[in-house]
Amino acid sequence: MLDFLYQSGWGAFTVLLFFQIPFVTVFLYIVYRKSFVDSGASDTASKKMTRVETIWMSGVIGIFLLVNIVSIPYFPAISTSQAAKLDKDIQDVDVTAMSWSYEMSEREFVVGRPVRFNAKSSDTVHGFAIYHPNGRILFTMMLIPGVSKSSLIYTFKDPGTYKVRCLEYCGLAHHDMNDELVVTASSN
Amino acid sequence: MLSATTVIRNTPLFGRMFNVDTDTGLEEINAWPGLMIMISFVWLLIAGLLGVAMPVTQIFELDSSLFYGAITAHGAALAFPFTFQLMVGVSLHRAASCLGTPVTGPLPALIFWFMNIGALLLALAVLLGLNISYAVMFPLPIVGVETGQWSMGTVILGFTGIALVLVTVILLYPLQIIKMLFFDNRRDDLLLSPRSLKDPGMLGMAIAAFVLLITGLPIIIVASAVLLGLYGILPMNLITWATEPVVFQFTFFIFAHNLMEAMAIMVISAVYATLPLYLADGTRKLYSDRLANLALWILLVTSLTSFFHHFFTMFPALPAALSYHGNIMSWGTGVGAALTIFTITATIWKHGLRPDPGLMTVIMGFVLYIFDGVSAIITSNVAWSFQLHGTMWQSGHTMAVLIAMAMIWIGVFMHHYPVITGRTLNKKPGYWFVGLFTTGALGVSYSFLAAGAAGMPRRFAAWNQEGWMVYGNLILFFGLILGAGMAALAYDLYKSRLISEPAGGKSAVPAE
Repeated sequence: MLDFLYQSGWGAFTVLLFFQIPFVTVFLYIVYRKSFVDSGASDTASKKMTRVETIWMSGVIGIFLLVNIVSIPYFPAISTSQAAKLDKDIQDVDVTAMSWSYEMSEREFVVGRPVRFNAKSSDTVHGFAIYHPNGRILFTMMLIPGVSKSSLIYTFKDPGTYKVRCLEYCGLAHHDMNDELVVTASSN
Repeated sequence: MLSATTVIRNTPLFGRMFNVDTDTGLEEINAWPGLMIMISFVWLLIAGLLGVAMPVTQIFELDSSLFYGAITAHGAALAFPFTFQLMVGVSLHRAASCLGTPVTGPLPALIFWFMNIGALLLALAVLLGLNISYAVMFPLPIVGVETGQWSMGTVILGFTGIALVLVTVILLYPLQIIKMLFFDNRRDDLLLSPRSLKDPGMLGMAIAAFVLLITGLPIIIVASAVLLGLYGILPMNLITWATEPVVFQFTFFIFAHNLMEAMAIMVISAVYATLPLYLADGTRKLYSDRLANLALWILLVTSLTSFFHHFFTMFPALPAALSYHGNIMSWGTGVGAALTIFTITATIWKHGLRPDPGLMTVIMGFVLYIFDGVSAIITSNVAWSFQLHGTMWQSGHTMAVLIAMAMIWIGVFMHHYPVITGRTLNKKPGYWFVGLFTTGALGVSYSFLAAGAAGMPRRFAAWNQEGWMVYGNLILFFGLILGAGMAALAYDLYKSRLISEPAGGKSAVPAE
């Protein structure tokens, strides 16, 4: 469940609805009621209003904290540093993005073996996003020329052909800037 | 008669909708704001046509450069000469009528001409092939010349236009607001609804002006250096520091991010100012000015450094600590928003509402604004950023916040309309506008966000890949509904009647 929520765009979309639907339901109900049903002043005691305010703000801050604290293990910085500490057998890949292609030192990988992607751009701002064969974005990196490399460690879980796309607009053939990676089940 | 009034009167079609009332002695607060608002709607028409052009180029598989030209011009027109100029017009009118200061002299004229000439020059450069997206993507403009995508002449033309727009946004407009707030003498004949800086409606205006001025100065310095280099006035070896991509990107996003935040603070202050005027019990007070002001201060403090969320995916080039800071500050803006939600909801609950199309436009704009805020903080979580950065999710966020802010300003403009023009609007087309525009905005917003969730890249001229065209079709469909909403508003403006003229439907309460 958490993997779905924090490692996919649709997970983010689900959380979006979780926040939006209660807000719009309650807010528009109150607007409708106080505009068209009973527009008179409410005699709600100020003590009660203060209590509602406290509950509302505590609830919002609590949910905000929960959502973000639970997301921490999914931060690439955290997973990269953990993988760097625990795994000795990391496959290093150097990626250079240029208009409108990628130079990669490796394009074939093995399920379960961590891969360290060291990526940079040689001309303008580019992206380096890897798509799972099912269309889900695994991660994206923004590459600004002149900046030391962007780098993270990722361990492929499924075999297949993975698409690479540039997600930063880089000129008239931006949409053609893509590549492929092949992930196999086993090194044997 | 002021020159701005003359320009409005001589403009075909739009002139009738925005004609300034010269009989009330308020021309000095009406003319320039009226002209800016009118021209902003002309730009909206252009931006709308370009917006339709994008999916059309995809559906008919036209040359991709048409798509990139349309997206560059659409984004630039929507952000600056439409939304920003609309905000300038309505907010200057609001400030003038609350402070009793005229909107005359060189500054308003410079704001108007710099913004619109700048936008025209940029549009011309785009027509000549400068397809750099409205986010500039530096050093793409220079790389594009080196790779033969466009000429250096178009870059110089486009950058000249961008410079004029930046000077308007970062210097001229904030200086005009600061001048009115702190230096101009009050004239009782222009004072319609006195307010002070203690009022949330005015405090937000002051905060926004200073945020624009301070956070925009670095990009003014960098962009000026680049422009002087392009003109050949400064030798290129003297401006290499400014042409470093990371320098340009960071100064650009410190400005661009805080531009949106300043506009958000400004627009929320406008909600705080307008809502009390429509309370059913006539109290004309928010539930709590202190809570409202606290929300504005929280929004200011948290938003200033939350711009790091634009760079999360550079890791480790952007240190993790700065990513975490950006994450926390971005969600901190949500705390300010939660306080605003409570203040507005409690105000409505306690005092009731007198419904009116203008007010409902403000309220539905506020709903869209909060909806968009949720999409913004989600993509500002470090984990989700690595899934969503560079996808249509972020285009959806940018577009939705612009639409939400524009909708609120349109609502405030509908409230001010009788004072500016001496005419009133009709309720029926007003409610049609609210319904259609809200439906279109929500539909477009969700289509973009769903496309982003499905991994569809933004600024990407190949929607036919991976089944993404369905989102493109939805965007076109709801975009047309947005357009229908604007048509209803245009009809309403065109059919407005003199205040003295009797009619079936009564309109707004008297404006401030």
